[in-house]
Amino acid sequence: MKRFVLRRLGYALVSLALLSVTIFVFVRLTGDPALLLVEPGASKADVDAVRERFGLDRPLVVQYVRFVGGLVHGDFGQSFYYRTPVLELYLSRLPNSLLLAAVAMSFSLLIGIPTGVLAAVRVNSWLDRAGRIFALLGLSLPSFWIGLVLILFFSVYLGWLPSSGSGSVLHVLMPAFALGWYFAASHMRLTRSSMLDVLGAEYVKLARLKGLPERRVIAKHALKNALIPVLTLAGINLVIMINVAVVVETVFAWPGIGRLLYEGITFRDFPIVQATVLLGGSMIVFVNLLVDVLYGMIDPRIRYER
Amino acid sequence: MTRLAVALIALTWAAVAAAATPAGQLTWALHVTIASRFLDPAENDGLITPYMIQYALHDALVKPMPGGINTPSLAESWTVSKDGLAYDFKLRQGITFHNGAPITPEDVRFSFERYRGSGAKILHERVARVESVDARQVRFRLKEPWPDFMTFYGTTATGAGWIVPKKYVEQVGEDGFKKAPIGAGPYKFVSSSAGVDVVLEAYEKYWRKVPPIKRFVYRTIPEETSRAAALKNGDADIAYLLTGPVADEVKRTPGLRLVAPLLDGVFWLDFPDQWDPKSPWHDRRIRQAASVAVDRNAVNQAETLGFSKPVGNLIPPHFEFAKAMPPAPYDPAKAKALLAEAGYANGFDAGDFYPFPPYFSMGEAVAGYLQAVGIRTRIKTMERAAFQTAWREKKLHGVVLGIIGSAGNAATRLEPYVTKTGVYANGVLPEVEQLWERQARETDRKKREALLHRIQDVLAEQVIHAPIYELGFIWGVGPRVEQAGAGLIPGFAYSAPVEDLALKRGTP
Repeated sequence: MKRFVLRRLGYALVSLALLSVTIFVFVRLTGDPALLLVEPGASKADVDAVRERFGLDRPLVVQYVRFVGGLVHGDFGQSFYYRTPVLELYLSRLPNSLLLAAVAMSFSLLIGIPTGVLAAVRVNSWLDRAGRIFALLGLSLPSFWIGLVLILFFSVYLGWLPSSGSGSVLHVLMPAFALGWYFAASHMRLTRSSMLDVLGAEYVKLARLKGLPERRVIAKHALKNALIPVLTLAGINLVIMINVAVVVETVFAWPGIGRLLYEGITFRDFPIVQATVLLGGSMIVFVNLLVDVLYGMIDPRIRYER
Repeated sequence: MTRLAVALIALTWAAVAAAATPAGQLTWALHVTIASRFLDPAENDGLITPYMIQYALHDALVKPMPGGINTPSLAESWTVSKDGLAYDFKLRQGITFHNGAPITPEDVRFSFERYRGSGAKILHERVARVESVDARQVRFRLKEPWPDFMTFYGTTATGAGWIVPKKYVEQVGEDGFKKAPIGAGPYKFVSSSAGVDVVLEAYEKYWRKVPPIKRFVYRTIPEETSRAAALKNGDADIAYLLTGPVADEVKRTPGLRLVAPLLDGVFWLDFPDQWDPKSPWHDRRIRQAASVAVDRNAVNQAETLGFSKPVGNLIPPHFEFAKAMPPAPYDPAKAKALLAEAGYANGFDAGDFYPFPPYFSMGEAVAGYLQAVGIRTRIKTMERAAFQTAWREKKLHGVVLGIIGSAGNAATRLEPYVTKTGVYANGVLPEVEQLWERQARETDRKKREALLHRIQDVLAEQVIHAPIYELGFIWGVGPRVEQAGAGLIPGFAYSAPVEDLALKRGTP
């Protein structure tokens, strides 16, 4: 088991090293950030001064070595745009992203699972069709449009909720719903298909033959097993929600990591893009590592696979 | 009778005292992401954006104000020596930073030497030293006469003349200063969250006047429709940068209004191929045809609801040494005649048309007018940095729709586009170059103005560029605001002077 964990840990470190090279190179392919940091008519001396200040005049290899050297010490560099340490920025945004993702995930599960179960239990009924339309809308309507409609209705027309920003429970409701609906749709579809599989299984038929009430069959025997893939998907979706809720965070001026990444890309702020991608990637690598180890603990055969 | 008089005096005093006490809150919905560097003038990169907050938080020796481009502020006066080598600034009596520390010549010297933004290199190269003459007087000694010193030091072209407290900066360090800045402006720092908001509070000891509004909140709302929504439901009092249908909707909403200060930014057409003798653009008549083919008023109406101002010069009229020139009249018949005269009666393929990002719809409109008279172009849109790189590296051909908004004077505005050292100049007229070199050495203001006016005349006669309009920067203003401060300082995009802003009476 120890060797298995060490091997997986090694894979994780290699993945992160490759990610660091990839993001370092790709972000630089987008062009020169110095011109976005000065006035369009800026002199060559001013543009050169900006390049020199941020070390962009150095050879790529030197820049990469400095970048990795900083990482080793937990230093992700200074933002070109903000002129403050990137890690500080990231950590200031992380709680907002965690809050948004948690509420959005709650919305998506509270909506997606019951509608998925109802759709599976009443296949081809109006409930099923309504559920599928709901899922289709959630997946197809652009989240910026949903966001704007929510703002216009709940904030401008009814005046119930603040139009944007952060700072109170009321602020999180609309962005969380806009974000959660998209994921609710995928949760609903997976719950439905997973429930349909499980409802056709032998042990469910046996439970029914034993005369158990249908509600109990569904709740205790079918749903429990059907939820396993849904929760796995929800875990992955949670990481996505934390890191790349770019559109929703922009529409609602929600100060999360998604917006930070968007700003980083917009201003070609290399340190911000590198940090958000690497830290987001680390989350995914860590979750995968955890799942690998847990699988290894549950199923010993996995440990011996090469 | 005496009692009545006493009561009246007491009432008057109370009313004056109440009026002098700051009250209420003003909230802005900003189109840009607030960065901590906006709180430190040493970091200014020549963009006007940070000044939206720095006009509140900090102050300069001399700065653009409604009274003029170099209005004395922390300095009560300034003089220049006859030989043009020494600039003396006399600080106001008793002025202090927000922490109560007096503002001294040493702070002025420190702020200048610490400055590292745009223009820092040229300023530090040309200024030999900064001296304290006495407790209130500071002298800048130049290595040689430099007529543009005050354009660089006393305007928003650079942040070198904006004063920060030396002792405090040394005490808290560079990062510490950005987190909790102390300035000398009419508002003091309360809090900030990078990319989210900045909160300021009135500094009642500000030398010019007691600010009437107690609290300022600047909030970043990047999405335009969300900014308009914040304005509509009262979450914000002023929303910057509204365009097209969103601005129109705000205009139609009862209680809201639109205002649009004219910026230093002027749109214009550049014809990079005019320096190639084989190109049709080499012919002055073709360039003139392009200029008169564009209906500037119609483009202005479509793009900025009529808030922009058609111009005939790429230097804003309020700039020092600018020569006011009327816009070219819209005359498609004349455009066609000019084309025919130049041998292109059936028009010609004029190459690509590059609009400055993100003004693509404006580019399409202008290209449409060119097409209508026979100047056929293909619109090529690019991402902003790629566009600027290509333009600076002289890789763009055909027609470029450019905009420039840097602060300065006619000379600094022209330099990048018409001189041999200009980063955007594909070619140079010998006469212009000669005049340019003469004006750079000229210390007599009137003679220099004549030379710069002559340059502008030559450029207009030769139709080197086709100016379109000065951009009107549209804001939405809510019902609580009495004075939003739009356009009080010519060319400035944002609310200023902030100590002159006012809420309507009875506003909480």
